Amino acid sequence: MLKVPDRLVVSAHPTSVSVTAVAVVRAGFLVFILALWWVASANLARNILPSPLTTLETAVHLLYGGVLQRATLQSIAVYLSGFGLAIAFAIPLGVAMGAFRPLGKTLEVYVYALAATPRVAFIPLIIVILGLGSEAKVFIVFLGAAMPILINTYAGVRQADGNLIEMARSVGASGPRIFARIILPGAVPYVIAGLRLGATIGLINTVVAELYTAVQGLGGLLAIYGNSFRMAEYFVVVLTLAAIGVVVTEGLRVLELRLGRWRV
Amino acid sequence: MSGGLTFEGVTKRFARRDGEAATALDAVTLAVEAQTFVALIGPSGCGKTTALRVANGLIAPDAGRVMVGGAAPRPGPEMGFVFQEFRLMPWATVLANVEFALEPLPFSRLERRDRARHYLALVGLERAAGSYPGQLSGGMKQRVALARALATEPGVLLMDEPFASLDAQTRELMQGELLQIWAARKPTVLFVTHSVDEALMLADSVVLMGQGRVLEHLDVDLPRPRNLAATRSNARFIALRDHLWARIRDLVLSDPKSAFFGREVCA
Repeated sequence: MLKVPDRLVVSAHPTSVSVTAVAVVRAGFLVFILALWWVASANLARNILPSPLTTLETAVHLLYGGVLQRATLQSIAVYLSGFGLAIAFAIPLGVAMGAFRPLGKTLEVYVYALAATPRVAFIPLIIVILGLGSEAKVFIVFLGAAMPILINTYAGVRQADGNLIEMARSVGASGPRIFARIILPGAVPYVIAGLRLGATIGLINTVVAELYTAVQGLGGLLAIYGNSFRMAEYFVVVLTLAAIGVVVTEGLRVLELRLGRWRV
Repeated sequence: MSGGLTFEGVTKRFARRDGEAATALDAVTLAVEAQTFVALIGPSGCGKTTALRVANGLIAPDAGRVMVGGAAPRPGPEMGFVFQEFRLMPWATVLANVEFALEPLPFSRLERRDRARHYLALVGLERAAGSYPGQLSGGMKQRVALARALATEPGVLLMDEPFASLDAQTRELMQGELLQIWAARKPTVLFVTHSVDEALMLADSVVLMGQGRVLEHLDVDLPRPRNLAATRSNARFIALRDHLWARIRDLVLSDPKSAFFGREVCA
């Protein structure tokens, strides 16, 4: 048969930097931030900014007492429930809105309006209806996280590649097969972008919910320590929230890489 | 199983953005005999691509009818379509892209895989089966698309400027490969191109279109098998090319919508 060149793959990122170099630079930057923090804590009036070492000691202390773990677990439970519900609701609805034009046309105005309204505005209403317990908290997280997922999923399905659809029709693929094999995979990058946005907003709303409803979780600790000027404890909570944010967004990035292996 | 293809007074209009109807095909009547290779040529916007889409049954004509192997055309495994922009699924491997065309056929997974591999081998890409389209050059992508169109062993092959986006050398090599493949199974081919040379190099006959109409159907009486060097210096080839090129140039220069309208162009 016909001849093939030896190198089939025209590959390799021209701009790819070595992983270790990135790790070293990142670590260096961390040292820089810690140094800056330390200098600031040494020069500001006492008790406004705890030094890194004080913060670490406080963290150990809080962990010993079990306060931090309990609050973190409470927050994570609220966060994951709300985010999970948002995914379970927004992806199917976004797909349905994209697949059935009349449904999408009908709902999109309301979805955009709701997305543009600051969701915090609904908190008093939510408290009236759902009370101050975990249902209210989960719902506040859900409301924040669902919107970007819904809007992105909808957009992803709407922007399907017409050329690929025509190719699939020409091959004799049925409507459902075109949907499953062309339209849905094409929407995946949009959905993931929506998940990342939703994850961030969901975490913000977790803290907001814990501040506004029954005070508990990390948001609750934030309020307690902030109001009583226990700045070292307060800082530990802030750093814990940051750590959760990093874990979640990194997790979604790994998911994105796995699903986007073809993007070479 | 290779059927002939006929257009009988086929008319197709599209709504333009300004609200007027543009006529893409204007009472086109054309017969393509089974197992022949016919090239459609003409200036941009003359309805060539529309002709292919109507022939595939992707769009229905407003008037007239198309018959493929004695029946109305239906998209599916009986016809292969090769597009200019390859149209490969970027998230699927090369193998999965070829298999996609086989899915409507009653094959087992294993048979499907074997068949796809066989056609990838035919276009010289068996070793790229696990690659993603983004890892391939333009020429390789178009070979994958060709393998996908051939894998169902269609009686009719519709090709829409398949080599237009390839560089000149790749293009000539691909023309040679296509001729070899065609000669082995002889599907009926309708091949749209802008290139007079390509049309004459490949086809048994060339259909010249302009403004949605068939203007001329010309036999290409050049001996086969053809090869680039010998065929290009053939006196008959040169005569046909000069004739076609002159007609296309007149079409373009006399078209008020063309950028070259009314200009003196030495070509």
